[in-house]
Amino acid sequence: MHRFLLTLSGLLLFLQSQAQVAEPNNRPWYVPEHVVLQTAGGIGMVAGGVGYALGVHRRFDTDVLVGYVPGRYTGDRAFGIFTLKDTYSPFTLPVASRWQIRPLSVGALINYTPSQMLNRSRDDKYSYKNYYWWGSTVRLGAFVGGRVGYAFDTPAGRKRVASLYYELGTNDLYFVSLLTNTKGLALGKILTLGLGIKLDF
Amino acid sequence: MISTLLPKLRATILASSAALLLSSCELLEFSPNDVRVTATEQDLTHKNLARLAAQPKPTGGDTLRFVFTTDSQRYYDELDPLVSSINQQRGVAFVLLGGDVSDFGLRREMSWVQEKLNGLHAPYLTVVGNHDLVGNGRTAYQKLFGPLNYTFTYGDTRFILVDTNGREYAFNGQAPNVPWLQQQLADTLEVRRQVTVCHVPPFNEDFDPALKENFARTLAQAPRLVFNLSGHIDKFGESEPYDDGVTYISGYSVQQRHYLLLTLWGKTHYKLEAIAY
Repeated sequence: MHRFLLTLSGLLLFLQSQAQVAEPNNRPWYVPEHVVLQTAGGIGMVAGGVGYALGVHRRFDTDVLVGYVPGRYTGDRAFGIFTLKDTYSPFTLPVASRWQIRPLSVGALINYTPSQMLNRSRDDKYSYKNYYWWGSTVRLGAFVGGRVGYAFDTPAGRKRVASLYYELGTNDLYFVSLLTNTKGLALGKILTLGLGIKLDF
Repeated sequence: MISTLLPKLRATILASSAALLLSSCELLEFSPNDVRVTATEQDLTHKNLARLAAQPKPTGGDTLRFVFTTDSQRYYDELDPLVSSINQQRGVAFVLLGGDVSDFGLRREMSWVQEKLNGLHAPYLTVVGNHDLVGNGRTAYQKLFGPLNYTFTYGDTRFILVDTNGREYAFNGQAPNVPWLQQQLADTLEVRRQVTVCHVPPFNEDFDPALKENFARTLAQAPRLVFNLSGHIDKFGESEPYDDGVTYISGYSVQQRHYLLLTLWGKTHYKLEAIAY
């Protein structure tokens, strides 16, 4: 847990320093550039967060989200899910003056579900080594997706983009299941879909 | 023309949008640890027991035949051949799966397995394994399948399925629930034979050491016990480890591409066949 948080904060610091280089503006470097709201994709019934668009062409998004799964869907108490997500969208198609399409995004995420309801699988319960080799509370994920954005100006004259995105992905445990079962499991069985909106500050 | 086509079209649209909605519900996953399931995937133990109760015994006389397989955890490639092999056997009343339905205790894994087992001609019943209790697996198992301890009687034989995954409860002295087991074994009204089914056998290190003796003694005192069935160790075995007249049978895991075809008759007679697939 500690190691995970340390890695997470380290990663964030690194990405933030990148943001500082790429986005010279009059805001303090630590102020996020957009807000995110997502449903599903394995990170919550609803997940909200903030993020930065990095790189010269702002092709890298780094988002931090907190997700919520109500007790109705967990069997008991609600889950809180903490997610760090990176998305790379190499192409932007300007289809009209204000509309922009990013036809392809690829990304990865890591999340942590600190619920007491989850029976930990790494408690050295079994004497044989690596019997439970995975952690029940930390998941890795990867996805491909796309995004449609609409550019507008605020009354103060600042340029903003509001966009909708989708992510078709999976997690490490589903992927391992598919990898070891080429006949008995289809790709479609392991997929998850996330839908979200992003809005520049 | 149009009037005949329209209802057809509407039905097609309705059916396809329903299918799309269903699949997108599964796609739109909130958490791999959530336990959101469709109505058809719920209470499978209850549903299979209802099916079993309605089914006339496929073998004549007092003979009862069933299949024992175990540890399906992440062996999806082996499940289709298993199902088609079992479907070719004659006289199989039901199929028992000895636990570790899933590998990571995830709802979606249990759902994948039940989809495969739905292909069985006979009803199937499961007992909970230690892997099914990992993460939020206990809740997922209860939602999809049902209780962790339960009994059913078929062909004059009482089957008692008990959660023996003591290590998952940090050996708290509650798993297995020995008083409950004693109660079930004492109730012999209209019961000619008894069979106990569990995941971790008492001679394995993952069984609660404090309960081992009591469990074995309880089985030894059972008036009509034929044998105990278990999984977990991925190794077939048929022995009397405590020299107390109780036979313990460890089943083949799904990965080992063998299952046990068990035929019971008389008081405690049985025939065991290992079938390869």
